[in-house]
Amino acid sequence: MEDFLVASDLTKSFDGTQVVASASFTVRSQEIFGLLGPNGAGKTTTIRMLSTVLDPDEGDIRIGGHSVAGESDAVRRLIGVCPQELALYPELSATDNLVFFGRMAGLPGGEAKARAAEILERVGLTDRAKDAVRKYSGGMKRRVNIAIALMSKPRLLFLDEPTVGIDPQSRNHIFDTVLALRDEGMSVLYTTHYMEEADRLCDRIGIMDAGHVIALGTPVELKTRIGNPDTTTLEEVFLSLTGRSLRD
Amino acid sequence: MRLFIRQALLLSLKDTRLFFKDRFALGFALLFPILFIVAFSLALGDIGPEDEQLRMAVATEEENGFSREVIDILTVTETTGVDEWDPKDAGLALHEGRIPGYLLFPVDFTQRIFSGESTEILVITADGDPETKAVLDGLARSIGGRIGTLSLAVRGVTELEGLGSLDLVKLGELGAAPPSIFFTSEQVGDVEPFNATNFTLPGYLTMFVFFAAALGAEAIARERQTQTLERLLANGVRRSSIVGGKMLASLYRGLLQLFFLWVLGIFAFSIDFGTSPLAVIAVSVFMAVASSAFGVMLAALVQTVKSASSAAVLTSLTLAPLGGCWWPLFITPDWMQALARLTPHGWANDAFNKLMLFGAEGQDVLVHIGALALFAVAFLAVAVGRFRTVSAN
Repeated sequence: MEDFLVASDLTKSFDGTQVVASASFTVRSQEIFGLLGPNGAGKTTTIRMLSTVLDPDEGDIRIGGHSVAGESDAVRRLIGVCPQELALYPELSATDNLVFFGRMAGLPGGEAKARAAEILERVGLTDRAKDAVRKYSGGMKRRVNIAIALMSKPRLLFLDEPTVGIDPQSRNHIFDTVLALRDEGMSVLYTTHYMEEADRLCDRIGIMDAGHVIALGTPVELKTRIGNPDTTTLEEVFLSLTGRSLRD
Repeated sequence: MRLFIRQALLLSLKDTRLFFKDRFALGFALLFPILFIVAFSLALGDIGPEDEQLRMAVATEEENGFSREVIDILTVTETTGVDEWDPKDAGLALHEGRIPGYLLFPVDFTQRIFSGESTEILVITADGDPETKAVLDGLARSIGGRIGTLSLAVRGVTELEGLGSLDLVKLGELGAAPPSIFFTSEQVGDVEPFNATNFTLPGYLTMFVFFAAALGAEAIARERQTQTLERLLANGVRRSSIVGGKMLASLYRGLLQLFFLWVLGIFAFSIDFGTSPLAVIAVSVFMAVASSAFGVMLAALVQTVKSASSAAVLTSLTLAPLGGCWWPLFITPDWMQALARLTPHGWANDAFNKLMLFGAEGQDVLVHIGALALFAVAFLAVAVGRFRTVSAN
């Protein structure tokens, strides 16, 4: 599989503190790439750089053959971003949220409505599509959050901790959706603190700590580093690599 | 440019929709000002018509002469409200606050009139009492005008006697001569009885248009915190479109407030737009533009929702009194009027007062409109320069 995203030596500092330090990795076409790391590891900053929101201090990013630095408009047409927060308007309905973001991404009104209906069906929210999102459960809000990211028909989807604080049913629904998207040809960059989730979903995983990518490989490859992959968990690998000390 | 306009319009329409769904925001922007306007109009209502008649004091240093005759005419009936004072007593009474001011005719007043020389009537008032000053100025001007005509006639007769024949050219020159009587005073405008809503409504309108715009900063900060701005940016929306859209949405809200409160003022409070209603509308629109730029600037300068909220309240409650929203600027001391010039509220209120209370024309408030436009440009420049889509955390 070809590399759809190539990040080389990404570095970013805020007020003299280096948050991301020479991070390099790739995300292949039709792959779910997990980016794991403790709090403050630099995952969200990395996603912000990859999604054109922040400029890296150093390093280069290419997505779908386009440079993020020089061709950000072309890159933005290829990506969809689902931030860690519920980046939506709770007073609007799910349909209105999707149509708004779709239109902001350049879709004409009719196309945006049709696409919104299609995506809401996919995430199982057709019945509640006209209700204000503030009336939704946590899991439903998370699904709307992901649905918005799909409005622009992205080829690369960034999912930043999409399953935080939701019930197992909603989580499973999100897993199925992500796997289906991958099978349809989409690349996914997925961050999470749930190791079993990463183990189940991700084709390859990068582990970040203190701004550095300290390990890269398939879940089996990473487990093999510290023991028998059949009996070792990803969480053990993670703790072995990042240590057991508490993080901010 | 087309993309900018499209994105800014979509964003502003979405924000406007959210505004109409937020009952508190709607109530704060439209109904809350009414409470203030009604309360303060009642409290300050009928200030002019029900005031006690202003007593005016006049004094002369002449034993006889024109000034004596003028004072006799002015004091012959009680209805004129003029009292004669001894010059020394008048000075002492002013100092002790027993009278607010007086007119003083100098000792050589009559002599100078007859000799064709200039003379003056002194208007002496306590500091910070523009109302008395305006009344005495008017009286001095009236006396000056009448005696000036008399002086001209006297000089004409004198000249004609000297010439022995009718010289029309000489008479014409006399008629063109400048008035020979002056009064030394500063013009502060005509003070007439007025409808208190004519200044309470523009004042509170200005305050609440800026207040609502400032509170809009809180919504922008919240969007930054919830990463919707970040999501928009990653979605291909330009940063400039976000700033433009936010400013447009704030402008719509401001214009809605203006429309609602002006219409209410006309029909419920009988406010008077003066002789230049279009100028009142122009000042209103520029004030709304400045307020929307102010709100976006505030959002660009604060880090969190909480700090946005605090900054909105703090700036609104500081700038409103400084800018004459709570009381008419023209009753405040000079230093406070000068301070008001540092705020957009001050320029807006001064323009409204001039237009709605003092009968100013549109051209008289062009400077005010220009100042509001400058404030808008300055606020927008800061907003564009400092606007962040990503939360600091």
